[in-house]
Amino acid sequence: MKSVRLTGRRGVPAGISRRDFIKFCTAMAAVMGLPARMGPRIARAAVSPRRPSVIWLSAQECTGCTETLLRADHPTLATLILDLVSLDYSETLNSGAGLQAEEYRERMIRENEGRFILVCEGAIPVNDGGIYCQVGGRPVVEILKETAPKAAAVIAFGSCASWGGVPSADPNPTGATGVDRIVKDKPVINIPGCPPNPYNFLSTVLYYLTLGKLPELDGKGRPKFAYGRLIHENCERRPHFDAGRFAERFGDEGHRKGWCLYKLGCKGPETFNNCPTLRFNDVGVWPVNIGHPCFGCSEKGVGFAEPLFQPARPLYITPPTQFAKARPEPGRGASTLAAAAAGAAVGAAAVAAGVSLGKKDGGSGEE
Amino acid sequence: MARRITIDPVTRIEGHLRIDCEVEGGRVKKAWSSGQMWRGFELILQGRDPLEAWLYTQRFCGV
Repeated sequence: MKSVRLTGRRGVPAGISRRDFIKFCTAMAAVMGLPARMGPRIARAAVSPRRPSVIWLSAQECTGCTETLLRADHPTLATLILDLVSLDYSETLNSGAGLQAEEYRERMIRENEGRFILVCEGAIPVNDGGIYCQVGGRPVVEILKETAPKAAAVIAFGSCASWGGVPSADPNPTGATGVDRIVKDKPVINIPGCPPNPYNFLSTVLYYLTLGKLPELDGKGRPKFAYGRLIHENCERRPHFDAGRFAERFGDEGHRKGWCLYKLGCKGPETFNNCPTLRFNDVGVWPVNIGHPCFGCSEKGVGFAEPLFQPARPLYITPPTQFAKARPEPGRGASTLAAAAAGAAVGAAAVAAGVSLGKKDGGSGEE
Repeated sequence: MARRITIDPVTRIEGHLRIDCEVEGGRVKKAWSSGQMWRGFELILQGRDPLEAWLYTQRFCGV
């Protein structure tokens, strides 16, 4: 399944203009917390002919993680990923089946030993000898144990692979566990989420290709650039939390007005992820902006563990020095905007909300 | 004497599917399909708040 190189002219993947490609790479640099001048370097790495082989193992999964990568509306993402890496084995995408697929996987592992990237999607069941997930008649836990030592890097993609996810929910009938509980001899990069944001996967791979090393990880093996902050810190509804404006019930006045969802069980105050700033489906949505509380899908011990509608236990509260008004009073848009800008702790999302609301009101008033 | 053919994994589908069939005289006499992965949603859902059920059941398949 060695795919044909699709690179168009001037080191740009086919189907994308050079301008869009450089803009995209610069945006990716921002996601990774790198200076914008790294953009062109990332672009060079992205079209380098030395594409790493990727072996994609499927364990106890729903394939939602594969879908999040491939079903992006915008063609850039799927194109880039399939152009960036040589996806040599994936149960979902391989054309060969049965013995043919298994033999090809073994050959690719042999040929790329010590160089390929192992991506694992889905939890690893360990109860009863691992019989609850088998490929080619063998428990996936055994396949993982023999494949991981030969890989250059191991990426656990999605909450299931990172810490067990939905199948590990109480009473965890199959003993579902994360990849890093099985693979002990090398660091496992966890990219949790249900589904995870595809751009977090793409930027991790781009980081590795550009700088030749893994991104800095937190104590749970997650890239710090993506999982360094609580959802609560950058939430667009944060000013409502700070001002004590809460939706009390689904469909009530506060809910219709877009107030804070904390009392409906939002787990943003105890979940580390970049959803508020790096949104989904290429149309800028994420659960909170369509009115549903975050349920902590990416956080071990929160998602599929805490009751859905029980209020979160805020990990730390960082009140801003000034409260921003999320809903400026008529005719006073500009002063509200100034307050929003001054309350830096409120976060960029709230500032952006302040700007758009200010514009709606005319935004002509002075300080 | 029937010949046994096994295709596992069946690729380009979601999940882990296995097909076994017995072939005799060029014809398939018997065939079995089996899911090779089980997560136990039936057990996970027992005793939970019904309002939470969607959170689990929707994750049966992500395609």
